[in-house]
Amino acid sequence: MTLAGMKEGDRARIVRVSGEEAVKRHLGALGFVAGTIVRVVGESYGNMILAVHESRIAVNDATARNVEVADV
Amino acid sequence: MSKSIKIALAGNPNSGKTTLFNALTGSEQYVGNWPGVTVEKKDGILSGHKDVVIQDLPGIYSLSPYSIEEKVSRRFLVEEGPDAILNIVDGTNIERNLYFSTQLAELGLPMVMAVNMMDVVKKNGDKIDFEKIAKALRCEVVGISALKNEGGMEAAEKVVEMAKKAVVEKGPGKLPDVPHVFSGSVEHAIAHIEESIQGKVPLRSIRWYAIKVFERDREIIKKLEIGVGEMKHIEEHIRDCEKELGDDAESIITSQRYDFIKKLMDKSLALNETRKDKATLSDKIDKFVTHRILALPIFILSLCVMWFLAVAEHGPGTVLTDWANDGFLADGWHVPFTTHECRAEGKYKGMEFEDAQGEFAKQDASKSAWEEAYLEKINEGKSDDDKVEEMPEEIDEKVAATIVAKGVFVEDEETGEPIAKEDNEDEPDLWDVDFAAYKEASEWEEPDPSQFGVWVPGLGALITDALDKAGVSDTVKSLVVDGAWGGVATVLGFVPVIFIVFIFLAFLEDCGYMARVAFIMDRLLRRFGLSGKSFIPMLIGKGCGVPAVMAARAIENERARRMTVILATFVPCGAKTVIIAMFAALFFREQWYVAALMDVIGIAIIILGGIALKKTRFFAGEASSFVLELPAYHMPTVSGVWHHTWNRLKGYVLKAGLIIFPACVVLWFVMHFDWSLNLLADEEIEKSILHDLGSWIAWMFEPLGFGSWQGAAASVSAEIAKEQATATLGLVAANMDGATTGSHIQALFASVSDFPKLAALSFMVFNLFVPPCMVAIAVTFREMGSQKWGWFAVGFQLFVGYVLALSVYRIGVLVAGGGFGIWTALAFVLDAFCLWAIFRPGKKVEC
Repeated sequence: MTLAGMKEGDRARIVRVSGEEAVKRHLGALGFVAGTIVRVVGESYGNMILAVHESRIAVNDATARNVEVADV
Repeated sequence: MSKSIKIALAGNPNSGKTTLFNALTGSEQYVGNWPGVTVEKKDGILSGHKDVVIQDLPGIYSLSPYSIEEKVSRRFLVEEGPDAILNIVDGTNIERNLYFSTQLAELGLPMVMAVNMMDVVKKNGDKIDFEKIAKALRCEVVGISALKNEGGMEAAEKVVEMAKKAVVEKGPGKLPDVPHVFSGSVEHAIAHIEESIQGKVPLRSIRWYAIKVFERDREIIKKLEIGVGEMKHIEEHIRDCEKELGDDAESIITSQRYDFIKKLMDKSLALNETRKDKATLSDKIDKFVTHRILALPIFILSLCVMWFLAVAEHGPGTVLTDWANDGFLADGWHVPFTTHECRAEGKYKGMEFEDAQGEFAKQDASKSAWEEAYLEKINEGKSDDDKVEEMPEEIDEKVAATIVAKGVFVEDEETGEPIAKEDNEDEPDLWDVDFAAYKEASEWEEPDPSQFGVWVPGLGALITDALDKAGVSDTVKSLVVDGAWGGVATVLGFVPVIFIVFIFLAFLEDCGYMARVAFIMDRLLRRFGLSGKSFIPMLIGKGCGVPAVMAARAIENERARRMTVILATFVPCGAKTVIIAMFAALFFREQWYVAALMDVIGIAIIILGGIALKKTRFFAGEASSFVLELPAYHMPTVSGVWHHTWNRLKGYVLKAGLIIFPACVVLWFVMHFDWSLNLLADEEIEKSILHDLGSWIAWMFEPLGFGSWQGAAASVSAEIAKEQATATLGLVAANMDGATTGSHIQALFASVSDFPKLAALSFMVFNLFVPPCMVAIAVTFREMGSQKWGWFAVGFQLFVGYVLALSVYRIGVLVAGGGFGIWTALAFVLDAFCLWAIFRPGKKVEC
């Protein structure tokens, strides 16, 4: 399962982040690492606003598909 | 001067860094974030400490090279080496913020961590144990509230103290005590790398370097020049770790850092559990603002508000612009909300200024109508050569007595001010003017505004007065008033509009909405090879292209960033608006849509140019990701918005002083002198250096319909600053027929083309869409990263502008019945090429 399959209000635990090296690194710095809990705050045409730690991160659909998650 | 202590202020974006910086440095900030400053950081002197410089770095999340800002900050921290670090951390999001702090700590510099927003932390009911964090990260930790100006100064003083102590005690040579955050095998590998690179790096930062080598950071490995054999050995250790932990080296470092922080937080952070996972106010606002249907209308509405404020008729921007151009920078102005009664004796005594103007206009209209009729009468039956063209001193009373002319004068519909007959084609008012009325009318003199009400003289008037008093020659006076001041005043005249746009943008940025705009626009802009983050530079570009090009830095995808730099200046900026306004008034009074059309063309070029560029091999491939933190909404502070606005505005004003001023002096010189350096009278402009320079390159503009030396000179001088095109046109057209500068320019275009309107349109389009002014070009070169890319950008812009002007003119002429020629053929060929570039199938490149 990836973030792209989640709906507003869903919570999940990150399993793995894939994709372009630099983007992966940036996502890592923002807290997208294995084990972190994310919550979907908003969704629009596949683009998402996610709650990670105490911040809100906006990602587009392609990025959301690169974040593999599991149920909490 | 004794060596000053340098303190780097580093932290995540939106952690309150700028607020703290401003609070610490007060008004003593001396280097702006503006082109020419090689390292993009702001320096300021710590208030009350003359020997301490605070260096504000861009807000970043990590010391890995992701965006340009991260690269710049990292290079600065590692290579230039501040004496100590003041790390600002958002207390309400401390876990994420500490990720960056652990990296900073590894640099081995004295460090104080200022945990910001403590007021909010307390209000939320959270508790943070500073001592435990301090112990774990080997630094000092203090709580502050930058917004409320609490604790910031204490934190700064503490870091200064540490820096001074460090200088005395150890210097850079000692192996520092830095936190060890990784698991056994990783630490083992890092220890090994440290051994191999010893001697190549400052000892205090050795751990930071070792971790970077472990992450296989190319830039660092190249810099350290590690031998092949040695690297192979190191690589074995890294591989062992990767195998053991089942992940790549970089991910191992990232997730172990977060593990370390998580453990630390378990001990030191007590979150108020009742708040957990609750939707915040920001989340609720985002439900509307990023809503799939409402998002765009809300955004367009906010733009409309901005354009109403800045450029709408009777809006604050226009009112202020009029005041600046006609009053403050020119002759002077009446203090508003006071009565403007005439103080001086005479015909106007006690009259309001507006009434006086109206009265004078009417008298003046009577006078000229009668004079016209009189001349017609006495010229009756005379051959053309004998005709009297000017009013003779002696008026033939007998003839005069027989003349009753029709006075003509109308009021401007909107302002109610009287306007002259020639400027108005509507039905005029008529009245009789006989000889007595004429004599009466001749006695009225134009009302002197300074005799009415409270009058404040403008800068232009003051300069003229000062020169008159100093008794300088007319040449010097012309140089100063027409040359230097005229140009500078033109640029300064835009300050009100730009000021309002900048305030509005600063407000949108500071409150947090700008980040949402980027998010909303991403879906749309992605199709043209751009990113949602490209939108902000383009929005800023409406005000000025220079900050726009610089704002493109926030885009981390290199292709999208370069494309944004190339395309952002196609948005007609404040200065280009002047050209549009002038041409709309002179040539397109009936075509009201021409002005708006220019914005539409600008947007079309960005979209089509984006599509075409994306299909070239330079920009092929998807910019697939969009990642952006959305800061919580908050009410911007007045001082925050002001600092933001002022920093941008300052650059614009500096441009007037540093570039326009000397350029105008040079321009004045080439216009008023010939090659033997003889001073020329105004009507001898055809002997000037400028005339020759213009003539040499006029052929280039021939296909565009304005191939005269005047058109060439105006277009080239527009590269100094776009609004210069209008000023130059006014000057070089001065010899043309007509009563006003406007009619001179109309005559100028009529003299170069059978289709003056098309030539004017072509001239306007050319100057709007060729490369921007030279300041913006200089910034473009810098932001493109190399000469090659710089020339690519300028070449692209030149091509677009030229082809557009050529097509507008030649195809326009064809449609208007002017026939088909070689240039028309060229226009069609180039247009076909453009269509091919836009619609050809693109290369599919995955990345």
